[in-house]
Amino acid sequence: MLWGSFVGFGAMTHDFGWPLWIAAFSTALIWAAPGQLVLAGALASGAGLASAAFAVSISGVRLLPMVVGIMPVLRSDRTGFWTRMLAAHFVAVTAWFEGLRLASALPRSERMPFFFGLAAALVFGSVVTTAVGHAAAGLLPRALAVGLLGLTPMYFLMSLERGADGFAEKLAIGLGLVIGPLVGLLTQEFDLIATGLIGGTAAFFADRLRSERAGL
Amino acid sequence: MSGAETAFLLLAVVVAFVANDLWRWLGVIASDRIDEASPLFVWIRLVATALVAGLVAKFVIAPSGGLAAAPLWLRLAAVTVGLVAYAAGRRSIALGVGTGAATLVCGVALFGY
Repeated sequence: MLWGSFVGFGAMTHDFGWPLWIAAFSTALIWAAPGQLVLAGALASGAGLASAAFAVSISGVRLLPMVVGIMPVLRSDRTGFWTRMLAAHFVAVTAWFEGLRLASALPRSERMPFFFGLAAALVFGSVVTTAVGHAAAGLLPRALAVGLLGLTPMYFLMSLERGADGFAEKLAIGLGLVIGPLVGLLTQEFDLIATGLIGGTAAFFADRLRSERAGL
Repeated sequence: MSGAETAFLLLAVVVAFVANDLWRWLGVIASDRIDEASPLFVWIRLVATALVAGLVAKFVIAPSGGLAAAPLWLRLAAVTVGLVAYAAGRRSIALGVGTGAATLVCGVALFGY
């Protein structure tokens, strides 16, 4: 599933005119499909470097609680600061989920090496599938290439829905879906950030209002 | 793509790496001090969710690349069919994305867009 999403990303970067090696490099370096999607999407619609980077950064907030959650499981008394920083870099949805699940069953001293092995395999596979998606988009018949481009939005729509726990998250998804294209008509530079701020803030207050009502 | 454009892309990837990894590094540094349930953190998470959702909608409704070869009705139909398969298949992302993409491919092939 993870690799499928990188096939879609590779195809998308081909479509946006990225060279194959930069697409593969972005998977190896950034190692966060949402961040890469936001970067490519923002640049393609004409956003500047600063606002694209800001939007990428907002999309990366989710990584913080994942790191906070997995680090106590992975580390032992002898794990140094920089080892933890390096391990944190590899934390992304699949590595986090599988790492937590599989490493918990191991003796503490073996967990960090295991996680690095797991992460290396995932990154390697993802770099390869990014390159495959990029190459396939250029070689396949048109209908199939268009189908590859459809993978990314559908994958992210469904994984957002799957990952949403509770009313506020679902409302934020719904609002983002509606507001995104509308704000896109007004500004191509800040539309992602504006959509996030408007949709996220509205969902936040709607949820507070809702729980206050329920509390009364 | 010219050398300058490639260099710009490379710079953008490196800047995005720092912007994204910031949160991972903060997670290590502040792991004891950050309360994930605090209102500020909940709010930032919701902003991030709405941002990605907005981007997804933009890709479907107003795509900037080759996806625009398929007309709007076909793009929306593919997403709808995909979502129905996803829901019917007990929220299986693989089934949903696969069905949606297959719908898109068939539509483009059949109608010759």
